[in-house]
Amino acid sequence: MTTVPTFSRGRAPGEPPPQAAPDPPAPRRNRRSPLAKREGRVAYLFLAPWFIGMVVITIGPILGSLYLSFTEYSLLQPPEWLGLDNYRRMLDDERLHTALRVTFTYVFVSVPLQLALALALAFFLDRGVRGLALYRSIYYLPSLLGGSVAIAILWRQIFGTEGLINQLLGMVGIEGEGWVSHPDHALSTLIVLNVWTFGAPMVIFLAGLRQIPTMYYEAAEVDGAGGFTKFWRITIPLLTPIIFFNLVLQIIGSFQTFTQAFIVSGGTGGPADSTLFYTLYTYQRGFGSFEMGYASALAWVLLVIIAGFTAVNFLAAKRWVHYGD
Amino acid sequence: MRTPRVLAVAVPVAALLAACGGGDTTGGDGDVVELRYAFWGSDDRAQMTQEMIDAFEAENPDIRVEIDYADFGAYFDKLATSVAAGDAPDIMTMGGAYHSEYAGRGALLDLGEVDDIIRTDDIGDDILAHGTIDGSLYAIPTGVNGYAMVANPAVFAAAGLELPDDTTWTWDDFAQLCTQIGTALGEEGYGAQDLTNHNTLALWARQHGEQLYTEDGELGLSAGTLTEWWEFSLELRDSGCTPPATRTEELASQSAPEQTLIGTNTGGMALVWSNVLEALSTASGEELRLLIPPGVEGGEPGSWLGPSMYYTISARTEHPEEAARLVDFMLNEPAAAESFLTDRGLPVNTEVRDAIVPQLTPVQQAEAEYLDRLQEVVGEPVPPAPVGSTETAGIVTRLNSEVLFDRMTPGGAAEQALAEIGTALDR
Repeated sequence: MTTVPTFSRGRAPGEPPPQAAPDPPAPRRNRRSPLAKREGRVAYLFLAPWFIGMVVITIGPILGSLYLSFTEYSLLQPPEWLGLDNYRRMLDDERLHTALRVTFTYVFVSVPLQLALALALAFFLDRGVRGLALYRSIYYLPSLLGGSVAIAILWRQIFGTEGLINQLLGMVGIEGEGWVSHPDHALSTLIVLNVWTFGAPMVIFLAGLRQIPTMYYEAAEVDGAGGFTKFWRITIPLLTPIIFFNLVLQIIGSFQTFTQAFIVSGGTGGPADSTLFYTLYTYQRGFGSFEMGYASALAWVLLVIIAGFTAVNFLAAKRWVHYGD
Repeated sequence: MRTPRVLAVAVPVAALLAACGGGDTTGGDGDVVELRYAFWGSDDRAQMTQEMIDAFEAENPDIRVEIDYADFGAYFDKLATSVAAGDAPDIMTMGGAYHSEYAGRGALLDLGEVDDIIRTDDIGDDILAHGTIDGSLYAIPTGVNGYAMVANPAVFAAAGLELPDDTTWTWDDFAQLCTQIGTALGEEGYGAQDLTNHNTLALWARQHGEQLYTEDGELGLSAGTLTEWWEFSLELRDSGCTPPATRTEELASQSAPEQTLIGTNTGGMALVWSNVLEALSTASGEELRLLIPPGVEGGEPGSWLGPSMYYTISARTEHPEEAARLVDFMLNEPAAAESFLTDRGLPVNTEVRDAIVPQLTPVQQAEAEYLDRLQEVVGEPVPPAPVGSTETAGIVTRLNSEVLFDRMTPGGAAEQALAEIGTALDR
């Protein structure tokens, strides 16, 4: 992400915000000195391993998959050109439609919940809790673990028929079913898992909150503003770039969810396709059914979907994100 | 300092690129041929395999064998990727319908080309038929397996019931027994684990005069027969024989023997392949019994002896003869069988089988005895699974969930299952 809004304003009230004034038009550059040229060459040389890696390991395969998406490719035989057939097939592929439904539900429910929780806790922690560093670490921990296989397995246990949740429910006399193994609830448990990893956006929110100059709050207090008004009129507007950043990042990440669904459902997307995430379906087609051409086409459609959402986000951002001035 | 800085960077970069190049593994000296042998399984299996390879290398000093294994879940993904990359292992283990997929796509060596090396005289024709695709032998079964109803005598005793006579019992007898166990155990367990999977459907089809796949690789199961099966399995669920849908779903998504109803002594019966008897017995600690699956009144017995896994050779191997020598060794040498015992199924070579029987544990002997009994009642051999049929297992499991959660009717699920399997076979 190159569009991370950088907050250059600190808490020191007197400091002039560097972003405030647009840069004066840069003077026409002089011809570069021989030293600068040589340094430039050396810099590229140092960068070469990463450039080569990016071209060979990332860009090459990405373009390769674009070609494969127009072919029938079983992995075992050379690809055969199909034209747009793979893309046409998606229109009638009912399991793909299920996968889209599952993935969209997951993104639209879990991302807002996760961000709301992250913001709430960041706001709470920012108000001067003793042992902040400890709390911050504790809340951040799930973000590091959330995508791991171990947590997914743990989740399956906790939400299983004889798992922790049902034992707790049993204490208050409610007999629960297996949560991860019921088609009506399985996706909810994965949404809870995603919300639980609120630590990463929380830490970013926390940093954002610290950037808001206290003088605004002081001024508002002088004018008689209450807690809610301050939050709504000062905190939120000044935090919008951070909210935007978290939103974009979490939407992209959630569309790509794979590990949790793979482990919790044993790779099937079950029960009854209720956790058939888009990426999981792509994987099943590519590696389970030897349809790497179709899987490549699916991957490209996901790319377009994510790019579309990100673009819409950026367009909408013009209306609600305030870069302080 | 006038040291050329370019050099200071160029050297590490060159070193990095060289490291990316990878080593040359063929190693020309001494004319030793290197082979790679891929299989799936646990570390135990890897250890047995290494023992076998040590014996093989002692007899064949001109060949070195490297083992390449992964657990079952990852194995076929890894295999597909390495075959696609032109880096196929020389000898590959296959299972289910995968050998058909690979052979149908030209990735396997026609073993007819090395039939002077691999001896198949002591292996039954109906066994070899499973590895024969379009008239050519591409895969040789590693051992035989039989589908069986495993029964836990301790659970039967707890319910106050006797084990049935498996030479005469029908599905009705099964349902009755199973429900009795489920009722007797109450909260403590179930009569049986849900029975539905593609193997059970193959059995059910044969008992109804049909087959899951025909000799031509087409779907041979009718919607009516499949509907009947799902209606039957709903009856079992509702009568307390099998667990509720959520529990079945949990059991289906984990394959570890320690977590099955049989393995935890909370279920009376389950349909399994005979070679898992040992793992289940270890998990449960009880003396489990293998029963011939129930039949249909007046119908065919339906059972068959199936291959547990297959040995295949890559079509692109540089050393087909050496690879064939290893396969021959694993199939026909008692030394190899002594390392494997029944781990890859009961050996297909009848002489080898007789040679190892005295070395088997009591559980392995029970398994061998079951296969002998099953042999008496098997019907026509099952034709090899066609290309595209590896998808059937997933389709059946998914639609079974739809039925058990009452989201689809048996009839609707049957129609959809057949349509989806048909599409996968045609693709």
